[in-house]
Amino acid sequence: MTRRGWIWLALAGFLVVAVGVIWRRSLGIAESRKLQELVRHRDALRNEQLKLEGEIRAASSRAQLAPHVERRLGMRVPSASQVILLKRPPRQNDSQ
Amino acid sequence: MIRSSRIKLVHLLLALFAFALVGKAAHVQLFQGRAWAENARRQQTARRDIPAPRGDIRDGVGRILVQSKETVRLEIAPREVRDRQKLRRLLQRAGVSREHLARATNPSVAWVTLPGRWLPTDVAELLTMRGVHPTVIVDRHYEVTPSERRFVGRVDANGTAIDGIERELDSLLKGTPGSAILLRDAKGRRFASPATRGTAPVAGNSVVLTINHALQEITERALSDAVAKLGADGGDIVVLDPHSGAVLAMASRRADPRSTAATALSEPFEPGSTLKPFVAAALLERGRVNPTETVDTYGGQMTLHGRTITDVHKGDRMTLREVIQYSSNVGIVQFASRLSPREQYEALRDFGFGVATGVPYPAEVPGRLPTPARWSKQSPASLAMGYELAVTPLQLAAGYAAFANGGELLAPALVKEIVAPDGKVLYRHQRRVVRRVLSKRAADEMRAMLVDVVAGGTALQADLSAFAVAGKTGTARRNIRGRYVAGQYYATFVGLFPAENPQYVILVKLDSPRGGSYYGGTTAAPVTKAVLEAAIAARDAALDRALLASARTEKPDTTSLTGTGDRATAIVLAGKPERTAPASSAVGSYVPAAGTTSLARPAAPPREDPRRPPPTSAFVFELPSAPERDTTQATGRTVPDVRGLELRDAVRALHEAGFRIQLARGSGGTSPAAGTVARPGSLVRLHVDR
Repeated sequence: MTRRGWIWLALAGFLVVAVGVIWRRSLGIAESRKLQELVRHRDALRNEQLKLEGEIRAASSRAQLAPHVERRLGMRVPSASQVILLKRPPRQNDSQ
Repeated sequence: MIRSSRIKLVHLLLALFAFALVGKAAHVQLFQGRAWAENARRQQTARRDIPAPRGDIRDGVGRILVQSKETVRLEIAPREVRDRQKLRRLLQRAGVSREHLARATNPSVAWVTLPGRWLPTDVAELLTMRGVHPTVIVDRHYEVTPSERRFVGRVDANGTAIDGIERELDSLLKGTPGSAILLRDAKGRRFASPATRGTAPVAGNSVVLTINHALQEITERALSDAVAKLGADGGDIVVLDPHSGAVLAMASRRADPRSTAATALSEPFEPGSTLKPFVAAALLERGRVNPTETVDTYGGQMTLHGRTITDVHKGDRMTLREVIQYSSNVGIVQFASRLSPREQYEALRDFGFGVATGVPYPAEVPGRLPTPARWSKQSPASLAMGYELAVTPLQLAAGYAAFANGGELLAPALVKEIVAPDGKVLYRHQRRVVRRVLSKRAADEMRAMLVDVVAGGTALQADLSAFAVAGKTGTARRNIRGRYVAGQYYATFVGLFPAENPQYVILVKLDSPRGGSYYGGTTAAPVTKAVLEAAIAARDAALDRALLASARTEKPDTTSLTGTGDRATAIVLAGKPERTAPASSAVGSYVPAAGTTSLARPAAPPREDPRRPPPTSAFVFELPSAPERDTTQATGRTVPDVRGLELRDAVRALHEAGFRIQLARGSGGTSPAAGTVARPGSLVRLHVDR
């Protein structure tokens, strides 16, 4: 190969390496952005989960249900004499 | 010749220029290199602070009361927005007011900050739009009752704790903030790079309170109903576990909306007759009297140092037992005269009066107990009747706990555990005996006297009939700004439930009840009964049902089981739970009123005769039996070590050990930690890195 050919080859090699480096960095940045987006999405969903769990707890709380139970269903708290405490015989694995 | 010298000169200049360039490059690289590199790093990277998630606050059974959540605040730059129609539609969907909607879509406005905060998922589409600038804010969410809010406290908009447990335990809850290093491109856009490392934030520790949320709701409802029915200015209820000192419920209510403090800890009051048992106990302890010894009560009226002392229940002679049973002022003053002022003062001080209990609440007050040097001639009599001193409801409940547990004054506790983010238990409440104030004999004698108060004395309306209740009523004139105001009273009842081996000390105090009666026995005692009945019927109100079953004093009403009665019966299985109770427990403590249809599965046989009244009133609820108050009972089980196991195997191991399991964020381990003895059926949090 002539001297000029070697120079062209070197230049082409440099170009390929440079493009490769830029491509790799661009890909890395794009993946990083995607990852960030997923982290944000995960955090958002976690917040949503906490919110929904809180709403379930509030909706199933005594303060929320008791007025409905009393007013709409006509139920009431039993007196102490109306509560029967039955002693359950201990199961075998209870003594472990 | 001339030409040659010119060329040389040009060459020389070029050489000098090249030399200067190399020299400058060397100077920049070798001498200024670090400074320039630092300058470049500053331009190419940005530091972002990451706030540490503040720790949760939970109740005694693990229910979340307070937690931090991320929300976003939205700011709009209308001139940057390209699709205004879409922005309008999304803002409408997010519930933005019409006024702000108009401003946010008006291109002549440069910047609009929208009021309110949104969950990121609720405005996900908005966040991707050009011109919408979100700011992430960590908000504190309180899923607490109004009374819980009083002692839990709060943090302000900047995340600074300003009240209650939030403030007292701030250093444990707040965690350590972290930081992230972001890369900046030529246009100033920021992006994260795996090559740049920041510091991860360390979440705050979780605080587990001793409060039982179900019992808290019961007490708050009872207090609210009583205040409304009696037209009272307010009131407080405290429920204490007399064996561990754990505060199970603490409800407060005031007519004044400016009152936001936990008044059971911060507002002392004159306890009136509820103090008489302490004087009687001091006499018993010192052997100065026995319960059957009598004194002259002068027909219910006597004059001492120019002051007339009267009784509501009048008699000529009374035993100490009767003095307590009928709350005789004349009688207790006569008996108290057997103590020297110093002995009387020391006895009351030993029960914890005049000293703050030490629960983690910043505004707790010690109350007031003057030393004998500051007493007047009337002070011994006044103190015996519960005047001239001021106690907080919690102090008074803690004092009564000594009657319930055999004579030990326990330090009340509001915090059960402090758990690190990795599940490691940093602190666990241990029963702490402040001092022994009574011998077991004296405590038992005192408790027996208190049973008489409910069975046939001034607190008949606290009687449950199915269980013996012990307690003492109190009605004290109310001192407002240094003066006793006519017609204003504190009506109080302090009860021990059940009387034999008590599981609750319950204090009910009403401020200025006006519904016709102001006596503790007719106002506060029925509230106690209502709380106890609801607690007995509730799925989980920190009661040991196996113990409770053995404390029953009468046969239960089983008429409805035959199908002939019209009364409802809740059947509670007291023993080890076979399965976990469902999360929602409120309906479980209710039964239908007569003639209504049932929701729970009926235990009565199906109706065959159409003329026979429907037997709709028998219900079976399977309830956890063991109390939440003590997780280290002899019957407990050891939490297995599941570190290093697959999630499925860890769950199986915990399940087989008899625990309920809740997954939580963290890095392995369980809470309670492996090796801890815990009650079968109790909740174990398994920390997994999700």
